[in-house]
Amino acid sequence: MSIEVQRIVKTFGSFTALNGVNFRIAPGELVALLGPSGSGKTTLLRIIAGLEIPDSGTVLFDGLDVSSRKVKERQVGFVFQHYALFRHMTVFDNVAFGLNVRPRRVRPSQEAIKLKVFELLKLVRLEGMALRYPSQLSGGQRQRVALARALAIEPKMLLLDEPFGSLDAKVRKELRQWIRELHDKLHMTSVFVTHDQEEALEVADRIVVMNEGKIEQIGTPDEVYHHPASPFVSHFLGSVNLFHCRLEGGKILFGNAPADSGKTEGKQEARNATVYIRPHLLDIEYSAPANGNYFRAKVKSINAAGPLVRVELTTEWDALVQVEISHERYQYLGLKKDAAVFAIPKEVKVFTEDYSI
Amino acid sequence: MPCILFEPFSRTPDFLEIMITKQFKRHSVLPGFGLTLSFTLFYLSAAALIPLLTLFWRTSAMDWASFLRVLGSPRTLAAFKLTLMTSFLSALINGAFGLLVAWVLVRYDFPGKKLADAVVDLPFALPTAVAGIALTTLYAPNGWFGKCLYKLGIQSAFSPVGIVIALTFIGFPFVVRTLEPILQDLDVEIEEAAFSLGAGRWQTFSRIVFPMLLPGLLTGSAMAFARALGEYGSVVFIAGNMPFKTEILPLLIMTKLEQYDYSGAAAVASAALLISFILLLAINFLHAWSQRYQEV
Repeated sequence: MSIEVQRIVKTFGSFTALNGVNFRIAPGELVALLGPSGSGKTTLLRIIAGLEIPDSGTVLFDGLDVSSRKVKERQVGFVFQHYALFRHMTVFDNVAFGLNVRPRRVRPSQEAIKLKVFELLKLVRLEGMALRYPSQLSGGQRQRVALARALAIEPKMLLLDEPFGSLDAKVRKELRQWIRELHDKLHMTSVFVTHDQEEALEVADRIVVMNEGKIEQIGTPDEVYHHPASPFVSHFLGSVNLFHCRLEGGKILFGNAPADSGKTEGKQEARNATVYIRPHLLDIEYSAPANGNYFRAKVKSINAAGPLVRVELTTEWDALVQVEISHERYQYLGLKKDAAVFAIPKEVKVFTEDYSI
Repeated sequence: MPCILFEPFSRTPDFLEIMITKQFKRHSVLPGFGLTLSFTLFYLSAAALIPLLTLFWRTSAMDWASFLRVLGSPRTLAAFKLTLMTSFLSALINGAFGLLVAWVLVRYDFPGKKLADAVVDLPFALPTAVAGIALTTLYAPNGWFGKCLYKLGIQSAFSPVGIVIALTFIGFPFVVRTLEPILQDLDVEIEEAAFSLGAGRWQTFSRIVFPMLLPGLLTGSAMAFARALGEYGSVVFIAGNMPFKTEILPLLIMTKLEQYDYSGAAAVASAALLISFILLLAINFLHAWSQRYQEV
């Protein structure tokens, strides 16, 4: 089932949560709504589910306007951040709830419900837990019960609100890989909300990056990471170094030192610009390269723990720059604190200041 | 030259000492365990246990025959029946309306909500005699409410109806105050989850919300019931106090005392006390039951 939202506006008092949001999700896609808190991503998910009513705009399921349908008529599986399990019911009763509340004529027999529930508990790998209460389960197990409960009503889509938000790091990682596998098995259109870029990049087919009630960019993880459409996206996805500088004749002037940009798209006149360079796209040398593409800096600190060596540099104009180099490179250079070095950008992303969001 | 000035204290602690240390002396940053525990024990004994035991001791001075004669007398039985019936009715009414009031106070925002919330406590704060006089003035045949009710054929004062009114008034805060925190804890997400699974409003209330409130509702009602059993001050004004008709148990005890029938009063009182104990036990069981699916 495809989901389409058109011109969605939602305000809470004087706060605009969503300001004209449009996008379409193809059937069977797994999409992440990614953004900082307050960006409107959860509100958008709740509007799709029918838990929130937009001030204006429409929601279409398979091209059909469902804006006026209530939650219970939309047949969406919704998984809440804090699980929202019925704590006075066993795991079995929780999962069976959606089937038990159906009108008598469409309600499956008790036998059929039992079969279905155990089938789902097997799917979420909780067969042995049917008679436990939610309080007797771990966070990851509770989230899986919530998922089984949502799947029991055979929803047309799955909406997950920060599904891994309240789990600890290890369980989180396992569960999101498992969610990806599950999605590949079920092929159900799924949307999940997250503020964790790593999670979105790892799990989703496509990412909708949101900020202040608007969509900044929609694209595959590869697109949004390597070709951010706005300063916000490049800042939000992964760490990045930010430089305020001037563009002159195809060259970027960092402080006073020029560096080749190569990517100024023919804008020749001098102007202010913001340049973003990811830490792993900076290299360190002891001598200036011939092409003049560099800036001078001094090593401030070195952290060699982890897969990459993180070096902090102080530039000539007293800004801090993060650089990530491999351990081999680090050993080859024999880098020491306070050493004078040249930083060489391998790839830069330029946003001129007349850029408007 | 170094010398030993005194023997270091090296007695090995005996078994009992270890046991006591292990069981009671949990090292805590909060001082004063010994002092506060002894005060608690003293307070409980002086204020509750000893007076209650005295009552049973007093009663035990009677022989079984006279004990049963006092309890089995038609007047005592009538008082027991009346007190239990009216208390139970008022607990039921408080259960229903307390739930409603708690729901409104927690779920909705309206001007004067704080004031309304404070008014709930009024029956706790008001001297019961004041409440009794106020209620009697209102519900007496010439009172504001009484006028209308008497026209409808409802005898709202000097009758069991009047007793129920008074008991409902004084028991009201129990249900509201027990339910309020439970309602506050009840996450709206839980109801949303039920809706998203296809449940209607009534199904969500009857299958999700009400079962979660039930333990609190029962506890609150049981407390209101227990309070109603012993209520004296507010009832005696509105009840009319006719033996066999509107004479409540505490009044009967009072009457017996005034007639210097101390052992008779003690007999009735100890029976009432027994009922209170049973209720207290029931409340505790309800509470434990309500916690059965909570975090362990």
